[in-house]
Amino acid sequence: MQLNFSVVWGYLPMFGDALLVTLKVTVCSLFFALLLSIPLSLCKISNVRPLQWFANFYTSIFRGVPILVQVFMMYFGIPIATGIKMNAFTAGTVVFSMNSAAYISESMRGGIRAIDRGQYEAAMALGVRYPGMMKDIILPQAIKSVLPSLVNEFIGLLKNTTLIASIGLVDILRVGQLIQAATYRAFEPFFVISVFYYILVMALSRLGKALERWVNKSDRG
Amino acid sequence: MIEVKNLFKRFGALEVLKGVSLSVEAGEVVSIIGPSGSGKSTLLRSINLLEKPTYGEIWVDERLITPPDPYLHPEVIRASHTYNRIRGRFPDDGSAIREIREKDLLHERFEGAAYREKIKAITESSFLDTNEVREKIGMVFQHFNLFPHMTVLDNMIYAPTHVKKLPKEQAVEKARALLQNVGMLDKIDAYPGTLSGGQKQRVAIARTLCMDPEAVLFDEPTSALDPEMVKEVLDVIKRLATTGITMILVTHEMGFAREVSDRICFLDQGIVIEDAPPDVFFSTPKSERARTFLEKVL
Repeated sequence: MQLNFSVVWGYLPMFGDALLVTLKVTVCSLFFALLLSIPLSLCKISNVRPLQWFANFYTSIFRGVPILVQVFMMYFGIPIATGIKMNAFTAGTVVFSMNSAAYISESMRGGIRAIDRGQYEAAMALGVRYPGMMKDIILPQAIKSVLPSLVNEFIGLLKNTTLIASIGLVDILRVGQLIQAATYRAFEPFFVISVFYYILVMALSRLGKALERWVNKSDRG
Repeated sequence: MIEVKNLFKRFGALEVLKGVSLSVEAGEVVSIIGPSGSGKSTLLRSINLLEKPTYGEIWVDERLITPPDPYLHPEVIRASHTYNRIRGRFPDDGSAIREIREKDLLHERFEGAAYREKIKAITESSFLDTNEVREKIGMVFQHFNLFPHMTVLDNMIYAPTHVKKLPKEQAVEKARALLQNVGMLDKIDAYPGTLSGGQKQRVAIARTLCMDPEAVLFDEPTSALDPEMVKEVLDVIKRLATTGITMILVTHEMGFAREVSDRICFLDQGIVIEDAPPDVFFSTPKSERARTFLEKVL
């Protein structure tokens, strides 16, 4: 077999755009997932039963249904059922955000539970109200302790974004499929794609490590 | 300033406080001592409502901070259990009748005109909100409970700026003065993780004082410290005692309690056994239990 990477070079500009799409979906989903996971985890630790039920039900849905099915549901199913039309980017971002939020809220709940009782008591004894206590004292410590698993979750999210190729958005994976269709070559494009993702994931985990070191500065002073 | 009346606290089947009454005037320093498990910490924690009393009243500055509910009175609960049990089985000896009568008496005591009067009086005098209580009464913990993700300065100014809405410059100024007082000014930008136990506790005391409390509760402030650090913390508390601030201490340091306190309150098995000035208590304890306790610890 003869390998011929030159067939891929011609498509390099397309890879540039596709990379931007992948990054955009990842970063947006990541942002909304974090935003959504905080109220979800607060629901899970609250004493109000209906809030717990809601959050647990939410999590079970997004853990229980394959993510590709969720993407199809959001892009093809929901518009028919409700009349709300979404473009592929929005549908993908919504699914990935909601899906990741379910997983992140689970680890966040564990992180909050692990905070010493004394931290709550000290805050209460100083007259700090619940919202301030959570925002400034409990959550910062909880997020710090779950940071490693957050980085993991983000890596998973990045790789999951390949699923938007299936609803027609041109991300890195989709470019590979296009090259394959045009040139009948499979190894070279998918090899290049693998390298792309590998580099992205490595960069992300490096970033995570740096972030961990930065937030842990208070341990050493 | 602080008045505890007939306080009960039950954790499940375990009754920790069995009718404790304690009155602390403004500016007084009171030490609560007693064997472990006697309910000292529970009593202290009830005063700023970190524990919710099962029954009883706590008054701060003449305002009630605990909700009035006579039906939670242990005697009422006990009697009504008895009553139900007897009704189910049908009694055949005189004791059951006596118990039912006892229950009716309790009802009479808590219901009717007197009860309604009491509720009315309480509503009129108005409650003190839990958060207000905590702004008035600071607390120092055995395990310091500094916020590990904040520097010493941020630990100090967080509550003043967020709860009391003090401008930041003022809060910083105050924090610096207080840190100077406890000899920790050079560590103002350090994180708690880098401090020794004694240093942490001194910062924790300064943090509590930064809220300008009228009273401070100390829950075994030196029990988690290495022996060589106990003195630096006790010195800080000693100096604080002379400033006229109201203090209630739970402590195992008998010499210290004797030196700084205006009164000693000896608690055993959830009951106040003695409440006396330190010289009287330590030289001539009235009760057998206090004598036994002192023999063991002195």
